[in-house]
Formats: sequence, structure tokens, C-alpha cells
Amino acid sequence: MGLPNASEDLSSEMEVDAFRLLFPLRYFERHLSESIRPDARPLGKARDTTIALGAVASADGSALAKIGSTVSAPIVVYLPPPRTMLAAIKMEVMTPSLESPDEGCIAIDFHMPPICSPIVRPGRPAEAAPVLSKQLSDTIIRHVNSVRHTGIINLKELSLVSGKAAWMAYLDIYCLDADGALFDAALLSAVAAFCHLQIPVVSLDYDGKIVIMSEEQKEEKSETKSVNKEKRKLTLSTIPFSLTCILHRSYILADPTAEEESIMETLVTVVLDSSGQLVSLYKPGGSVLAYTSAVKDCIALTRQRVKELQNILDEAISSMEID
Amino acid sequence: MEYVSPEGLRLDGRRPTEMRQLRAEIGAVSKADGSAVFEMGNTKVIAAVYGPREVQNRSQQINDQALVRCEYSMANFSTGDRVRKPKGDRRSIEISLVIRQTMEACIMTHLMPRSQIDIFVQVLQADGVSSYSCVSLSCSLPLIDHPHFMNYPKNNQSCGGMEGADYVNRTRSACINAATLALADAGIPMHDLATSCSAGYLNSTPLLDLNYIEDSAGGADVTVGILPTLDKVTLLQMDAKLPTNIFEDVMQLATEGCKAIANYIREVLVENTKQLEYRRGS
Repeated sequence: MGLPNASEDLSSEMEVDAFRLLFPLRYFERHLSESIRPDARPLGKARDTTIALGAVASADGSALAKIGSTVSAPIVVYLPPPRTMLAAIKMEVMTPSLESPDEGCIAIDFHMPPICSPIVRPGRPAEAAPVLSKQLSDTIIRHVNSVRHTGIINLKELSLVSGKAAWMAYLDIYCLDADGALFDAALLSAVAAFCHLQIPVVSLDYDGKIVIMSEEQKEEKSETKSVNKEKRKLTLSTIPFSLTCILHRSYILADPTAEEESIMETLVTVVLDSSGQLVSLYKPGGSVLAYTSAVKDCIALTRQRVKELQNILDEAISSMEID
Repeated sequence: MEYVSPEGLRLDGRRPTEMRQLRAEIGAVSKADGSAVFEMGNTKVIAAVYGPREVQNRSQQINDQALVRCEYSMANFSTGDRVRKPKGDRRSIEISLVIRQTMEACIMTHLMPRSQIDIFVQVLQADGVSSYSCVSLSCSLPLIDHPHFMNYPKNNQSCGGMEGADYVNRTRSACINAATLALADAGIPMHDLATSCSAGYLNSTPLLDLNYIEDSAGGADVTVGILPTLDKVTLLQMDAKLPTNIFEDVMQLATEGCKAIANYIREVLVENTKQLEYRRGS
């Protein structure tokens, strides 16, 4: 009708920024036809990722995951904006349930405070927050409880005294900067926090209550009986990594930014574990219908990404241990 | 308990007129119009400013001024014990009000009528009580890569076992400093940089910038917020009792601490501007 022609005529006269805001879809399609995106990334490439373990000193395990980085280059037209997630785990002692007396528990909560994005306001919490909480819980915890397949974390490791005391791990993930594909960054920070987690030393005191021992008490070694000798780490059997892709016509864009997500709405999130097995596949509707080939392409892109993320995580862990 | 040793050293090795280590970064949140991370010792606060933008609630719109709103919240993991209600409880509402009124005094609101400026402050780590002690090396990776602020290793040592401490008082100063930096980063016109610092009085010595242990000792804690160049006080709060003459000394000490923080903030802002200029290629 009139509109496509109008944009064609105006595009030669208009400034780039104005065109980007007025005709976003055409702006992106111009780039996609050259197999590149406005932030100069090729279609299948995710943004640079960094992980820092131990970001929160007061927590038992914590990690800061940043996907995308603020690069200081002299002339860059559009910087790929970063997503930053801060995850921290706090351990508390609780009594285990009757059905599973020698298993602990994990509670995952995802928060989007108003600092992360202009759309989140104090009276109006983000819609994405509870959705992501549930998605993360399903990936990490349901992964754990499945009977045949050993999930990431064996809940039995979280037990202290069978039937009487077990650990409750509260994992809180705070989004500090929101820019598209939040699930990837959130999962990465959650997994990194679990890798960093060190279970505190506890002992039983006279009343039979579990008391968390401080450094000074450990040295005294009084009549209290130690339940576990020293701080230990959780053993993680497999580590899940994810990649979110956007489908638009015949293009597949990996790791979208918020702008791309708002224009092209069909998302596919694939979660693979470090051994290459599929953990979860999430395609919540959307206007683009995907053939199996498209899904397979997404999975292939995720596979590459898993290798990258595995390396980054291993580096972060080994540099932590050197300290 | 002796808070100041005979040689004049405090529990963490500082002198009575010495502040804890300061660290600031600008632009940590790319989505925000202005943002900053501010650390004073073990307290780490992130502030983001959105504005001036359209007023959300038309009925609150002011025709000749900007509306300033502030929200303070603590992360669940910020203190030793997990915080159950991170915002909406009385302390958070009180401190939100305090920060808002302090910043309102220094923002030139008459230049931006019918608009809204939102200041969000999130406490990531508070120098607070933990049920167990942890000697841990806190992460030295800054939120943005800035050559100035990398590699700041810190040893966080907190002794466990104390309860009922009011960590909110100590986050107050860090929050105001972070908010000032974020507002400057957002380019919002201000009369002056509002900075804040606290001081106390223990063992007959005025002490600058109390840490957690000194604060829970039960002595007085004076928090001062000033506009340094104009030499005006915007915030003054104290709990416990102090004789008037000693109060003047303690307040003077806190004011000097504020001025030192203002100098530091100014340096950070100048450095940031140089970086921006370099990136523009001029």
C-alpha cells in the first residue's frame, strides 16, 4: 500500500537514527540481507561473555555474569549493550520434608529491580520476572528431581542429618541491566554461582540444634560435634547452558538484543548440557512457524555456544582457585 | 571493648579520622540514563537514574517543577541473614524518603517542569551481621572495564554472632553518594554534588566513617549530608545521646569526610568525561 513505498522514498533522505525508530523492521531487514546486524555482529554470533565468581562476599556462593561488554573503542557506531546478572546463594538450615528425609531443597527467585530497564517501574513489576523464575526453576530443579537421569545437583548432598536437618539453598538472581534474552544470562549466572558455592561448616550443639560454626569456633574445637569437617563444594554432574535465538522469515539471529526482540517476536530457547544432550526446548508461540530444519539449526548454534561458555566458565573457576 | 587502641588505631587498623576505601564506577547500567556503583568499605550500592521523562501518574504532575521519586531496596543476599522483605518495610520507605529529599534539594527541578526523575538505589552488599564469619576475597572485577578501577582486592572480614544491628544507617551515606554520581552521569542539572558521610564517638574519640562493629557498640552515630561547594547541610541525623560540644566536633568531622568524598567524586567524573571525549575522537 502507501506505506512501503513511503519508506522507500524517505529512506534515502532520512537520517539513520530516524529511520531506525520509524521503520525498525525495514532497518533490520536491510542489515539482515547483508548477513549482519546493526551492532556489527554476524547472525549466529552471541555477544562477549564474562563471568566473575565471588562477586558478593556475604553470600555462600555468587557470580556476576555479563553478556556483552562496554568496549572502549574510539569510533563505534552502535555498541552492543550488555546484560548483567548477579546471582547469589545463601544457605539456611531447615528440617527436610517427610517424603524425602535425606534431601535438601533449592529455591530459585529471579528479580528485575527498576534499575535494570526503563520499562520496569515501582508500581508495575516486570512481566518477565516470574516467567523467568519459573523457567529457571524448571531447568535447574526439575533437572535434579528426575529419577532416572542424575540432574545437576544431587539433593542428597544437601542433607545434614537424615530426617532432622538439611540445607535450603536460596538462589537469588538480580538483573542489573536488561537487554534481551535474559534467560541465557540468568542461567549462566545461576550455574556459575553453584560452581562457586561452598557449603559452610556446621556442628550440633547441646540442644541438638545445628549451629553454623564461625572461624573462631572452628579453632576452639570444643565439645560440639562437627557434622561436616570443612567447607566443601557441591559436585555438579552436568552443567546446562542455553542460547536464545530469534526466528524471522528465513533468518536465525542468535542472542538478540531487546530492540531485536521487540520487533521480531518469535523466540526459541535451547538448553543443552555440557555433554551435548538436550535439556529443554522452549518456543512460546510467535508469528513465525519453524520447520524442523530451523529448530535443528538453533540447536547447532547452541552447541557451539555451549563450548564457548564452558571454556569461559572453566577459566573463571580456575582463576578463582588460583586466588 | 576497646575501639581505639592506645596507639590510636581502630579495630580495622584505621586512624580515627580515616575513611574506609572508596570506589566508584559510572555507567554500570547501560539502559539507564545515568548509573553508578559506589562502595564504601564493605557496603556496595548501585544507583540508576531514569529521567527526565514523562510523568507516569498525571495527577502527580507538577506544572513548574520536576517530580523526583526515589526507591531504595536491598538485595536478598546483601546482609548476613537473608532479608525477607527487601522493600516496602518501614526502614526502606524511610530511607527512600531521606534520599529523595536530599537529592530534591540539589536538583534544579525548576528547569524540567512537568517531568519525572526516578532514582533507584539497590544495595548489593551491606556491612552487616552474619551468623558466621567469612574471610573471603571479594570479587575484583568491576561492572565496567575501567583501567582506573580494576584490581582492588579487598579482604572482607566480619565477626559473627551479633544481632539486631541497624545496617540501614550505614547504607544511607553510600546511597546518597551513588545517587549523586548517577544524577551527574545522567546529565541532570544540579546546584551541587550532594555527598554524605557518618561519624561517631567512642572511647572519647570522634571517629570518622564507622564500620559495622563500631556502629553496634551503642555509641552515637551522626550522618551528615552536605552540598560541599555551597557549604550547606541537607541531611543531619543522629541516634543516641551526645553532649552539645562533642556533637559539634563529631559533626565537623563528618562534614570534612563529606568534602573528601566530594573531591573523590569530582575526580571520578572528570576522568569519565575525559574517557567520553576520547571515545568521541576529539
